Formats: sequence, C-alpha cells, structure tokens
Amino acid sequence: MTLWFLRGLRRGVVTTWYPARPDSSAASLPTPPVFRADVLDRATADRLVEVCPSRALRRESDTLIFDLGACTACGRCQDAAPEAATPSGEFELAATSRAHLVKRIPLLREARS
Amino acid sequence: MNALTWFYLAAAGWGLAAATVLAGRGAQLAIRVACALSGLAGAAALAGGASALWWGDSRVITAGGSVVVGTLQLQATSLGGIFAALLGLVAVAIAAFAPRYHQAGPGTGIYLGVFNLALAACLAVLAAANVVTFLVAWESVALLCYLLILRNPGRPEAAAGAFWFLALSEAGFVLVVAAFVILAAKTHTMQLDLIAARAHLVPAGWRDAAYLLALTGFGFKAGLVPLHVWLPEAHPVAPADGSAFLSGLVVKLGAYGIALFAFRLLPVGPAWVGLLTMAAGAVTAAIGILYAMNERDLKRFLAYSTIENTGIIVTAFGAAMIFGAYRQRALWAFLLLAGLYHVANHGTYKTLLFLEAGVVEHATGTRDMDRLGGLIHRLPRSAVITLVGTLGIATLPPLNGFVSEWLIFQGLFQGFRTGSHLIGILIVVAAAALGLTGGLAIYAFVRGFGIPFLGMPRTRQAREAAEHGQPVAGPALLAVSCAALAVGAPLVILALSRAVGTVTGVALRPVLLPGNLTVIPAHTDFSAFSPTYLAVFLVAVTVVPVLIYLAGRPRADSVTASVWDGGMVTFKPRMQYSAMTFSAPTRVTFDALYRPSVSLHRASDDPAGRSGPVHYETEVTPVFERYLYRPVIRAVEWLADLVRPIQSGDVNLYLFYVFAMIILAYLLGAL
Amino acid sequence: MTASNPSIRGQRDGASAQAAESGSGTDAEQKAADQLRQRIASQFRRSLHIRTLDTGSCAACEQEIRLLAAPHYDLHRLGLFFTPAPRHADLLMVTGPAIRAFDVAARKTYEAMPGPKIVVATGACALGGVYPSDAFMHGSVSEILPVDVWIPGCPPSPLALLQGLLVAVDRLAEKVADLTFAADGPTVEVPE
Repeated sequence: MTLWFLRGLRRGVVTTWYPARPDSSAASLPTPPVFRADVLDRATADRLVEVCPSRALRRESDTLIFDLGACTACGRCQDAAPEAATPSGEFELAATSRAHLVKRIPLLREARS
Repeated sequence: MNALTWFYLAAAGWGLAAATVLAGRGAQLAIRVACALSGLAGAAALAGGASALWWGDSRVITAGGSVVVGTLQLQATSLGGIFAALLGLVAVAIAAFAPRYHQAGPGTGIYLGVFNLALAACLAVLAAANVVTFLVAWESVALLCYLLILRNPGRPEAAAGAFWFLALSEAGFVLVVAAFVILAAKTHTMQLDLIAARAHLVPAGWRDAAYLLALTGFGFKAGLVPLHVWLPEAHPVAPADGSAFLSGLVVKLGAYGIALFAFRLLPVGPAWVGLLTMAAGAVTAAIGILYAMNERDLKRFLAYSTIENTGIIVTAFGAAMIFGAYRQRALWAFLLLAGLYHVANHGTYKTLLFLEAGVVEHATGTRDMDRLGGLIHRLPRSAVITLVGTLGIATLPPLNGFVSEWLIFQGLFQGFRTGSHLIGILIVVAAAALGLTGGLAIYAFVRGFGIPFLGMPRTRQAREAAEHGQPVAGPALLAVSCAALAVGAPLVILALSRAVGTVTGVALRPVLLPGNLTVIPAHTDFSAFSPTYLAVFLVAVTVVPVLIYLAGRPRADSVTASVWDGGMVTFKPRMQYSAMTFSAPTRVTFDALYRPSVSLHRASDDPAGRSGPVHYETEVTPVFERYLYRPVIRAVEWLADLVRPIQSGDVNLYLFYVFAMIILAYLLGAL
Repeated sequence: MTASNPSIRGQRDGASAQAAESGSGTDAEQKAADQLRQRIASQFRRSLHIRTLDTGSCAACEQEIRLLAAPHYDLHRLGLFFTPAPRHADLLMVTGPAIRAFDVAARKTYEAMPGPKIVVATGACALGGVYPSDAFMHGSVSEILPVDVWIPGCPPSPLALLQGLLVAVDRLAEKVADLTFAADGPTVEVPE
C-alpha cells in the first residue's frame, strides 16, 4: 500500500486539465480533414469521393458535401490528394444538430468538366 | 379451576375424539365431530397450562396403577405449564386444519385416532409426577408418533423416515431411563417432587452423570446435533399436521425433559455442565440453519429450522445453568424464562409454517421449492399467513420471535457478571454463534418464503394452484397467536416469571417490569425494551409518512412508466433465482462443513455444449449420516452377526437354554 | 419528456443539409428549441448521471467511453458519473447503429429515465454514417430515439466525448457549427 502511494507521489498528477487547459495528447489525435477550396476541382473531388471508405464525401455539381458524422479520420483522402486535404486538428466536434455536421465545400469553378 | 381438572377434561376430550373417529371409521361426519372435540380439549389444555403457569404447582394426584407398572401419579407443574398451553394451542389449530386437509376414509380415521391419543400422551408426559408415569407416557408418545409418521405405509420413504424416528427415539429412551434410574436409586423415591427435594443427597459424580445421560437422551428427541438426523427424514413423510405436531410439540418435549432435569430435579451443578449444554445448543443452532439453507424440500427445510431453534432454546438453558453456577440467580431465572418463551414462540410459528407447507403441497402437489413460485397470487390468504409465520421465525420485529431472541441475547450479553473472564468470553462466543444463526435464519427464510411465494410460477402446478377449499382457520389462529405473543409480551413474561419463580425460587418480577410495558433483562442497569411500544412505533412509522404523502401529494403531472426490468423483451420463469442458487454463497463460504460435490456431464465434447443438454448436479455430503451413524450401524450389525448363532432355530437348543437358565436361577437363589 | 430538437431522421443524405440551408422559418423554431434545450441542460451543470446504451456497436466507442473513468480523463472531476440504472440517469449515451432486435430494450430504457433527460448519439454508427437502414438495423439512433447531441468519430476519443458531454449540459459552447472545414489557402497545422 505504501509502495503504491509513494509511486503515485513520484509520478505526480496524471489527470488532464481539459477543458480548462488544452490536453497534450490532443495533438496526436487523428482528426477529420480540412479541404482546400482553392485547389479542389471536380476531378480531385471525384477522386476523393471514390477513395473515402466511409462514404463521408459526396459531390453535388460544384459542391463537395462532407458528412463529419461519417468521417472516421482514416486519412485516405489526405494520402490521395495531400494538397487538397490536410488534417484539421479539430476533435471538438459535438453538434446540437445533425445538420451542423454536414459541411459544404465549394469546388473550383474553373474545372475541366 | 384446578389446572389438573383442566387436564383431565383435555385428556377426556382427546380420548373421546379418538374413539369417535375410530368408531366412525373415518367418515366425514366422524372426522368433523372428532376434530371439534379435539379443539375443545385443546382449549381445555390451554386453560390448564395457563392456570398452571399462573398459580404454580398443583398437588400430586395418585391415580391408581399396579404393582407391575407402578403407580400413576399426576401433577400440573408450572414448568410444564407453558408446554401444556402450547400443546393446547397446537391441538386447536390442527383441529381446525384437519377436516379440510384429510380425505375421509378408514386410514384417516386411524390416523386421527392415533393423533388424539398422542395429544393425550403428551399431556401425560407434561403432567407426570413420578418416574414410571413419565416413562410410560414418553414411550407412548414415541410409539404413537411412529404410527403418525407412518400414515402412508405404502410409500418406501415413509417406512424409512418412521424407522429413523423410532430408532433414535428408542436410543434416547434408554438413556433417559438410565438417568431416571440413577436419580431414583440415589434418592430412594420415584416421585419427581421428592427427587427434587432430596437431590442434594445425590453425590456430585452421579448427579452429573444423570444430567449428561438426560441431556443426550432428551437431546435425541429435541434434535441436538449430532442426534438430529431423524428430523429431516421423518418430517417430510408425515402428513402436514403430523409434521406440525412433531416439530411444534414433540421436539419441545425433549426441551422439557432437559429443563426438567436442569432446573427442577437437580440442584445447580458446576459450571462445566452448563457450558457443555450451551455449547451443544450453539453448535446445534449454527449447524441446523446451515443445513436448512441447502434444502429444496419445504418440509426438510423447516425440519432443519426446528433443529436450529432447539439449539437456541438449549443455549439459553445452558447459559442459565452457568449463571446459576456463578450464583447470578436473577440471570439464572431470566434465561430459563427466555428459553421457555422461545419454546412457546417457536411452537406457534413452526406449527403454522408446517401447516402452510401442507396447504402448499395440497394445492400444487409438490413440496419442491424449485417447482413453485408466484403463489402469493394464487394463494393470497395462505401467503399472508405464511408471511406472518416467516417474520416470526426470522426473529424480525415486531413479532414474537424477536422478543424471545432479544431476551436470550440480553441474558447472554451479561456474561461479564459471572466474574470469570474465560466464562464471560465463552458466553459471548455462544452469543456470536446465535448471531450468526440469526443472520442465516433471515437469509434462509427470505429464500423459504421468496422462492415459493414470490416471483413467477416455475411450473404448471404452481400456476394452477387454487386457494378454494384450503384450510385457513387453523393457520390463521396461529398467526394471530404470534402477534398476540408479541404485543402481549409483558403479560406472557409476567406469567412466565411467576412460573420460573416457582421452579427456581427466584422472584424475578420486581426486577423484570419496572414500568407497565417495558421489559428489562433481570438487571436494571443493562438495557430495556418494550415490545408493545415497538409494535406501535413500527406501525406508526409506516403509516404516518404514507398519510402525509397522501395528504400533501404534489399535484404536478407525473408519468407512469413500467418497472425497470433491464429492458428484457420477455421474462421467462427460468430466469429467476432457484432455491439452490440463492443459497449458493453459503455453500461456498461453509464448504468445509458441506463438502459439496459437483458432477457435470455434457452430452457431447463441444466445449460450448451446443449439441445437447448439460447435466449438472451438486450434492452436499451428509456428514453425520456418513461419518457417525453408518459406522455405529455397522458396528451394531457386526455385533448382531456375532450373536446370531444363539438363534439357531433348533428347538432342542432353546430347551437347553431354558434348562440352563433354571439351573442358574436356582444357584443364584441359593446363594 | 425531453424537449429536444424535433426528431431529425439522421439520414446521411440531403435532409439535414436542406434543413440547415432552408429559410428562417425553421431557424426560429431551431432557436426556440435550442433555448429550451439549454435551459434543460443547464439543470445538470455539475451533476450529471450518464447511462450508456449499446445498440449493436463494435464496442470501440465503449472502450473510449470506459477510458473516461480512468485516471487520465477522470470524468468525476467534472461532476459526471456513470450509472447502470436508467431510473437514476439524466443522460443516455447511445452507441451503435440501432439494430432492430434492440428496439424494445432501447425504448424501455428511454422510458425508464425520468425527465428531463438528454440523449447523446455517440460514434459514426449512431450518427448514421456507417450502415444503411435495412432489415436488421435502423442505421441511425435518431430513428428510434430523439437525439439532442451528436458526437462524431470512429471511435470518438475520450476528449471528444468529454467535449460532447459538456456541450450537452451547456458548459461548453458548440464549436463545429461555425467550422467550415474549407480553407482558401494553405493551412498551418493550427485549427480554424
């Protein structure tokens, strides 16, 4: 019992201070991507849509519809088009409405078909 | 009227009842008339017992006899008074119960005739004033009870159960005869009063030997461990009222015998005798309830509970003897009072529970707890009555079991007054054993009431049980008596203290009830308790908040939702606790005592058991039967084999025996 | 009963997007609903009892939820507690795609909770992001229960869960509504 107590004293406090202070482990969390509207054209968008295993991405004419609710932060879209999709670093994604989780990203108008 | 007169009336009533039902060959009318007579006789016995309690010993009546059997002498004593009152109450309850329970027929006629004669024989035991009367009455009780148990001789287990009863009864009888013979020889009289007066002349060694023989001999009847094995064998096979009679009364006769020797016939002995008695009682109580936890058969369960309560009573007697040895006269008398009170209480609720077990068996066709369930819906009145009995036997306030247990505990806790540290510690250890027993008793009776009565019915028989036509009046009377014994505790204690005063010569009353309704355990500086106020308080503390709630209920809208059941879609009866799983923790904790054995057979080798049923069986080792009785039985059989050559069947050899005996007698006579 | 958002039918396509885009009519409704939700949620600020409900998940969300009670995240310091009894619970944390075999149990659990109560759908399955509605499952928890807060992730990390719970009791403001996940230029590794 004493050993455990002393060991605990040596280790110090391990509890996070979140939400009062940011948590140190937050930086290493996989997070949904943020899309570059100035780089995404229709072809890239279609490629991303095909690559996403969770069907979180959908293209509707000139808009990329991104459902955060389906995103698993697997990172395949980032691997497929690293200039178009980068990790957002956002993990505080709770929403009070399902609609808030569906994001519309406008595509480049000057797309080649 | 004189107590003895009441007893005569009772005995006459029972004799007449027996004659009626035997003559009527068990016709329905004959049964009703006989039971009515039996009930009246029971009321007379109750009056006689109460009268003996209050007014003390009556004079000794010599009622004839002969040179061969000795004189028949009767006396209504205050010690026997509470037992006689209990006998009367049990008789009345069973008289109300029997007509609806038994089916008319010659078998029932014989059974009820024997039963009424057994009641009269029990009364004779309690009113016996000399050794011979006592022994003759005792043996009559044993033989008549044997016939009672053997009600259904066709069934094989009936014969086995009855045989166990008779064998152990006879073993005890031999020891009791020996004890009485020692006392009678040393005091040169057969009359119990005179034995008591002259007992101080008996040398200490003989006195203690007589007591030990009596403790063991009566212990067979009372059910002290390890002499108890007949109880769980005999009770299930007897009819319900027979089992009720056995547990409610006949076992108490064993306690009466122990009390007779310890408090009336013999003077106060050395402390070790009391210690031995108390230890026997404490061990019996603990082992009794531990075995009760593992019984599925309702009647075996109740039989083991009887053993437990015998243990409690004998513990009280033993502790009283210890206090007597240390000249704490108030506590000596007080614990005797507490023990007698527990006798009355236990007789009442145990009879009730056995009668209700009979009702359950009658209604559902089974005694197995695991085949019952939900009977509170099918047999509501019986369930309420059984609940009263269960609360009593689990010694929960405000009922009578609590009062007598409290008295016993308060007596035991005053062990420090003996002045000896060792004795004080041992008395407290006994109290701890009783505490363990009490806790396990609550556990056991939650199981004993909850599994058959609450929950969902586990079988079709339980689902289709019907209350119509079941006897209710008898058990209801006993339930009312339980409540009366609790609320009227001051009155009962007053009467018992008068009786105890007559037996021990200690006037407890000034120390017992300083106020009107409060009980104090023999000394004013220890504790106090009022059963009446407690009952009132408990009722108030439940009723008053309910009234306040009903009056000032919040008017807000409330939503009624169904009971949270874990989100189950359908409940199946098999999802409930079974009797054995409910008591599984005791099997784990006390496995040194139980030595459970488990056998497991799978239909196939598939580890998930997918292709067939799995057979699981667990068994508790019958420790006493296997390690104590079987060796003794084998030794007896070996001895019998050794002696068998004498019985050759050859007439010539028998004639030689006769001749040899005549020569021997002649030679002895000549010397 | 809970005055949550009107039961949005958690479908992956269109409807939710349309609701967000459509005119001010539902917006006012939404505002009123939000206000009511906040009033209810603020009752629980520092004392919230959470009952988890698994409607058929792979248990990854459960593992993350269990970590909340571990020393690193320690939800007790925030006044949040787990309870197994719905009668004692204020918040129902639902994971899994709401398989049909679980309908009765889910409904019974929800009804056994006394009001006011909050329902939080946790993980991509519960949000309707993984399975379509078919013969075996509804696909989304909002089909069977009125959901107040959605926590995305597969599984959501304990930090995300904490944020979600605190949003549910109005101790943290919701962030994701204002995030666009669209950048006009190269992003630094700093969130929007």
